[in-house]
Amino acid sequence: MASLLTLRVITPDRIVLDAQASSVRIPGVDGSIGILPRHAHMVAAVDVGPLRYVENGQEKALFVSEGFAEVKNNTLRVVCEAGELPEEIDEARAKESEKRARERMAGKKSSGEPVDLLRAELALRRALMRQQVTSGYGRQRVRS
Amino acid sequence: MASLRDLRSRIKSVGNIKQITRAMEMVATTKLRRFQDRAVASRPYAQEIAQLLGRLSAAMGDKLAGEPIFRPGPGKAVALLVIGSDRGLCGAYNSQLFAAFERWIAANPGVDVRCFVYGKRAYQYLQKRGGVKIERYFAEPPLEKLDYRLAKFTAKALTDAFNSGEYREVKILYTAFESMAKYVPTAMGFLPVQAASTAGDNSASDVILEPNVEALLGKLVPRYLETRIYNALLESITSEYASRRMAMKNATDAATDMQSLLKGVYNRRRQEGITKDLLDIVGGAEALRGK
Repeated sequence: MASLLTLRVITPDRIVLDAQASSVRIPGVDGSIGILPRHAHMVAAVDVGPLRYVENGQEKALFVSEGFAEVKNNTLRVVCEAGELPEEIDEARAKESEKRARERMAGKKSSGEPVDLLRAELALRRALMRQQVTSGYGRQRVRS
Repeated sequence: MASLRDLRSRIKSVGNIKQITRAMEMVATTKLRRFQDRAVASRPYAQEIAQLLGRLSAAMGDKLAGEPIFRPGPGKAVALLVIGSDRGLCGAYNSQLFAAFERWIAANPGVDVRCFVYGKRAYQYLQKRGGVKIERYFAEPPLEKLDYRLAKFTAKALTDAFNSGEYREVKILYTAFESMAKYVPTAMGFLPVQAASTAGDNSASDVILEPNVEALLGKLVPRYLETRIYNALLESITSEYASRRMAMKNATDAATDMQSLLKGVYNRRRQEGITKDLLDIVGGAEALRGK
């Protein structure tokens, strides 16, 4: 058995995930960061996106929003504002908010209200990332 | 002297009040439980964020003092976030808070205090009291519907106010929830940030930081402030419900006592009436027989 690291995803409302993973990929602000067991002590900023990890030879994913990740003593703690497991994501709602955000952006671009545009863009990204998590779930198998 | 009928109606009305206060007690108990669970659930997150902040500020070292958010602001005024309740019938919860407010004002004479207010009761009190400026009253959404988004919104409003340069510092006056029976109004410093750097923890220099200290700290500080606000709001509303539950329990108990007292008086009075009637009848019969 290869060595494992403890992955814990913590949000203000609850501890979303507490698992033993053999590898983790977190959405860093400057691109994806891969983390394997016995990683050096690190603190990283996390962006909105899918967090992929391998548990029992199976790749799984969950949605995380902006936050931080700290690796220490073979434990990866992801501290973020929102975390959702694929089975909790309401795909219809994500699609709906994607549509809404796109409409808002199309409408606002002409009248030019910068704050709302930013908000719409962020909403759009969250919606897209949520959908990515649900669609990518369970499809890929990782050979180890 | 109350008649028997008056007594009866009083017993009944006390019973009705008792029913209501008992229902309110039960509602307060469930809500209290719910908010308490949330306070417990939010603790790991707040702890992680606070620890990260300590570690990062240690890594920043001397550069930390250069960040404006860690220094008192250039202004003279003090912003005070007062967290009260929207509704009454919660015992001494609000009056204790106001007493703490007065104590704080007395301890800081001559300070230009501007208030940010949560809770209708607190707003009404401050308005009636005068002497302090109410900068902003957060009426919507109510504290009852508290979630992390609300805390985020409040934290942003306060941080923006601080960054405007008008204030020296920002403080929070809230009710700390210590136990079911103990809730203490407390004034807590909010801004500038006081980072308790976790010295002694293995030296921060060998940590890989991604992308870099400044960017991480810039993202972390708002999150840290949000957790502080979230915690203050949660503890306040938990205290409010604990206080309300206690008040309603006392009211229910008082109603029970009152009911049994009234019943005692009523029964005694009834018996006296019966005895008197009997005496009249017997006396009348005796008189007739004696003829």
